[in-house]
Amino acid sequence: MLALPTPHIRRRALLGAAGATLIGAGAQAQTKPPAAPKGQVIVGVSQEPTRFHPLAPAIEVDQGVWWNLFSPLWNVQPDGGYQPVLAREVPSVENGGISADGLLWRIRLRDGIKWHDGTAFTAEDVKFTLQLINNPDFRAASRTGHNLVQDIKVVSATEITWRMSEVYAPYLSRLSWTFIVPKHALEKATDINNAPFINAPIGTGPFKWAERVPGDHITLVANRDYFGDGPYLERLVFKYIPDLTVMYTQLRTGEIDHTSIQGITPDLFEQAKTLKDRVVTKTPAAWIESITPNLGWSFLADKAVREALYLGINKKAFVGAIYYGVPDPTESIYPAQSAFYNPDLPKQDYSPAKANALLDAAGWVRGSDGVRAKGGVRLEFTNSTTAGNQVREQGQQLLVQDWKAIGAAMKINNMPGAVIWGDYWAMSKFQSVMVGVSFGIGADPEVTDRLASTAIPAKGGSGRNTSQYANPAVDALLKEGATTFDFAKRKEIYRKIQSIVRDDLAILPLFQSYSVEGLKKGLVGYAPNINTLSNCWNCGSWYWAA
Amino acid sequence: MATASIPHAATATATATRPGNRALRRFLRHRLALFGLVTILLLSLNSGLGPLLNPFDDLYIDVMHRFAAPFGDSHLLGTDALGRDMLARLMMAGRVSLTVGFVAMIISTAIGTTIGAIAGYYGRFIGAALMRTVDAMLCFPAIFLLLTLATLVSPSLTTITLIISLTAWMEVARVVEAQIRSLRERDFAVAAEVMGASDARTIFRELLPNAVAPIVVAATLIVARAILLESYVSFLGYGIQPPVASWGNMLNNAQQYLTTAPWLAIFPGAMITLAVTSFNFLGDGLRDALDPR
Amino acid sequence: MASYLVKRAIQSLILLWLVSMIGFAILHLAPGGPLAQFALTPGMTDADLKRMAQQMGLDRPLPIQYLEWAWRLLCGDWGNSYRDSKPVLSIIAGHLGATFELMFASTTIAVLLGSWVGVLGAVRRYSLFDTLATVGAMIALSIPTFWFGLIFIYIFSVTLGWLPAGSRFTIGDGSLLDYALHLIAPSIVLGFVTVAIWSRFMRASMLDVINQDYVRTARAKGLPERVILVKHTIRNAILPMITIAGLQLPTLLSGALVTETVFTWPGMGRLFLDSISYRDYPAVMGILMCSALLVLIGSLLADVLYSVADPRIRLD
Repeated sequence: MLALPTPHIRRRALLGAAGATLIGAGAQAQTKPPAAPKGQVIVGVSQEPTRFHPLAPAIEVDQGVWWNLFSPLWNVQPDGGYQPVLAREVPSVENGGISADGLLWRIRLRDGIKWHDGTAFTAEDVKFTLQLINNPDFRAASRTGHNLVQDIKVVSATEITWRMSEVYAPYLSRLSWTFIVPKHALEKATDINNAPFINAPIGTGPFKWAERVPGDHITLVANRDYFGDGPYLERLVFKYIPDLTVMYTQLRTGEIDHTSIQGITPDLFEQAKTLKDRVVTKTPAAWIESITPNLGWSFLADKAVREALYLGINKKAFVGAIYYGVPDPTESIYPAQSAFYNPDLPKQDYSPAKANALLDAAGWVRGSDGVRAKGGVRLEFTNSTTAGNQVREQGQQLLVQDWKAIGAAMKINNMPGAVIWGDYWAMSKFQSVMVGVSFGIGADPEVTDRLASTAIPAKGGSGRNTSQYANPAVDALLKEGATTFDFAKRKEIYRKIQSIVRDDLAILPLFQSYSVEGLKKGLVGYAPNINTLSNCWNCGSWYWAA
Repeated sequence: MATASIPHAATATATATRPGNRALRRFLRHRLALFGLVTILLLSLNSGLGPLLNPFDDLYIDVMHRFAAPFGDSHLLGTDALGRDMLARLMMAGRVSLTVGFVAMIISTAIGTTIGAIAGYYGRFIGAALMRTVDAMLCFPAIFLLLTLATLVSPSLTTITLIISLTAWMEVARVVEAQIRSLRERDFAVAAEVMGASDARTIFRELLPNAVAPIVVAATLIVARAILLESYVSFLGYGIQPPVASWGNMLNNAQQYLTTAPWLAIFPGAMITLAVTSFNFLGDGLRDALDPR
Repeated sequence: MASYLVKRAIQSLILLWLVSMIGFAILHLAPGGPLAQFALTPGMTDADLKRMAQQMGLDRPLPIQYLEWAWRLLCGDWGNSYRDSKPVLSIIAGHLGATFELMFASTTIAVLLGSWVGVLGAVRRYSLFDTLATVGAMIALSIPTFWFGLIFIYIFSVTLGWLPAGSRFTIGDGSLLDYALHLIAPSIVLGFVTVAIWSRFMRASMLDVINQDYVRTARAKGLPERVILVKHTIRNAILPMITIAGLQLPTLLSGALVTETVFTWPGMGRLFLDSISYRDYPAVMGILMCSALLVLIGSLLADVLYSVADPRIRLD
């Protein structure tokens, strides 16, 4: 029997934790936005946005552009709450939007919304979007949750209902990242994967598509008929600058107004803070950096070894020296700002002595070269990460030294992104990787895909449990968590999961990432959002002060 | 070293002063070439024996003393982003870079010269087939070859050297082929043929020595490219894996800190420049010495 | 000549076919793939990735994938990029212009300056000028482009503010002056290394020619030095340079890559690098085909020009 479901409305108090060092924002928030859209903002990104169909597979920079062109039914706020966009209100059991058993959904939409080409937005577009995702010929990014939607009925131009074939609590979060596409522009396309739409997207967002110069930039212009507040900028430009050092330089010289993904490198943070007329912020991200061992490989399956390795990491030096203290050390798989974060996890202890003792007790004997061995197997393993990532490489080298002290030999074996995250990662062919993972989806902690024993691709399962973690207690908890709408209950479930995962040391957590992004002074409205993949989610609210 | 391997530049008819000695004397007169030779020897010695004399280890990470400026208290050339001694790393890196540069140059020059000479001499079918093969290899941009070949084999000193050689021999072949093709028609070559000299003898004794100039220039350019290509391969993700240092990957890692710790880039850059320049001077000297004109 | 050209054309077509097969095989057999970039994207599951691989036809046997690609190519369809679904040909065309601009500007600087330095160096062999030029060229050859480029930006853009810090134009300003300002820094940096190469080869070639008998004869005849230089020496010295020039064509696509990255110049080099990084198979194959075509044309041109310039060489 399900308890009374409530959507995840977070306490306002948590807002203080996010956006930690937003210098000067308080004073600037007093200024009022202009009456008509004025000026332009050039956003620098270090990967090129190339996909403009919001349902297609894409990376973070692409989503950053989508937030401005398109609208979801509701969006997710920095504090984890949902705010209705195309919908009139976020559905919940209280307001009748979701039935008591969680299966029947009824969404009421706003009136008077127009697509960029003037056509009226109706519930037909929502139906079309959901059906398109499930269309077997369409290359949708993800069908998770959407494939449970059945019997979509358009009750009126502003009302739509459907039935879920099973209860799926994270669906609210899924829909907050699902942008609605226009039926009239896409239904006639001969090739639904290559419609003209993808080069001239039509949305309902605060900005309209203007032009794209491949390899250089994308220009969006203000949608003066936007149904919501804003936009206050005439032009929004996303400029592709592949080199982070060059991107920082362009911020300094003023050629760009905002450094978005992938931000400013940690070693430049202190210097960047002193730049004149620039506002540099350090905001929490959802990526948890860890050493992920392949639990199905050799001695890494042995918990004692993992514990010893964890004891041997000098986290303070790691975070302080390599990352200049920018990120926060963590023990959890969730960011500290998440409502489901468990703050009571045991803190890591840096103690080579304890580590040595643990390994000695487990029968690992030091050889003549200092590397331990047991039963003919040397305590030697490889660690891989994306090649070319300088900061991570430095971190790896520090770990090599840390672990040498306890008799473990780590070898670095880095590869380019396209290689390491292919089968090497997906089919668990690695020994250990250094990786940043965002567990959960948006504000939702749902993590079955990564921790359930049925989600191990290397063992024939379906999912992304590439570390091959298998714990029946966690399996049961995961199942419960995905089918409960009760916030308090879910909180408890996911706290337990974090506790077990930490105890098992399924991953060796290092820190929670922070993104360091820079703005030109006078740019108001920037609001970093840990629950979206890009901090350009609300450019419709940005404006230049005076 | 280099002086011992100077081939006889002309037919071995006995003369009062042996051609080898003449070439040697010409070489010794070329001051820049001598400078180049001495520098390379010094660099090799430095990389070979230096680490034994240096108190610091190239791998030891000392987070407390990162980015120490050069000519300070303890570290002569300062420390890098992880606090490792720059001098030690430069010396160890020298081993890697010099080996890669030199060996890649030897391999690619050898392959390129052989193929180019055979193609240029025989012409017709063999020549066309070989040159079309060269063209086919040239069709693949260097990065494509580097990236895809490197993904198929795990990166190590040997594989990187081989891969760099594979991307560099084609230009030598083309230049050699063009030279041999034109030299083949010259009087002395025709004369040698008429006199009954075998093909191999004609190629190696008559034609190639006259084509030495562009070959040597091309070869010395390859050393430069090899050392820089190695750094670029590191940048793309297939280079020498950390923590092993090479001048190339030290330079790469120093990019980020150009304005805050310029010595991290200056020293490896200077070493690369010095080594490559020396190879070039040496090549110049060799070409001048071997040139019978 | 005509029969030679026909023969070469046929050989080139066979070569193109071979290159396409080998390239296709290497590309697809290399580990990793276009879906690796989504491995860590929140919200996309393993089932989604498998489905996408199937929808993109990546799970079919390699020969079938190749045949389909080759057949489409012969019909004029070069495929659509995996990244932005635009036709590969239009993407290449878009980036080619930028690269041509950069190559043209830097080559002009390089050839003019390099030839002048090379010729003077050969004529005044071992003089102070020659030594300085030689040493300077050596150093220029050895400086890593990205290092030089970054320093250039630091001095001229960040510190002095004279030149923009990259890109091809300022967004919103499309004037000729704007384009020119943006072109200066990258072409100097790219041309810097090429000057050295050209001057070295020019000097070597000049030295070869200067010591020829016919030059000595001309001098003995009493011809003025300048006439000897221009009429006899330089013209003959240029011959091997043609081969070199023909070889520069393939570098058109990847040679400027480092400069393009440092100066965020939207050219072919960066397109290729990005395409390979993301394993954008259609784009990589398209660029590979273009590169192969350019190499074959360049090689043919060089051979033909060389034989035209030197009548002793017979083409067979």
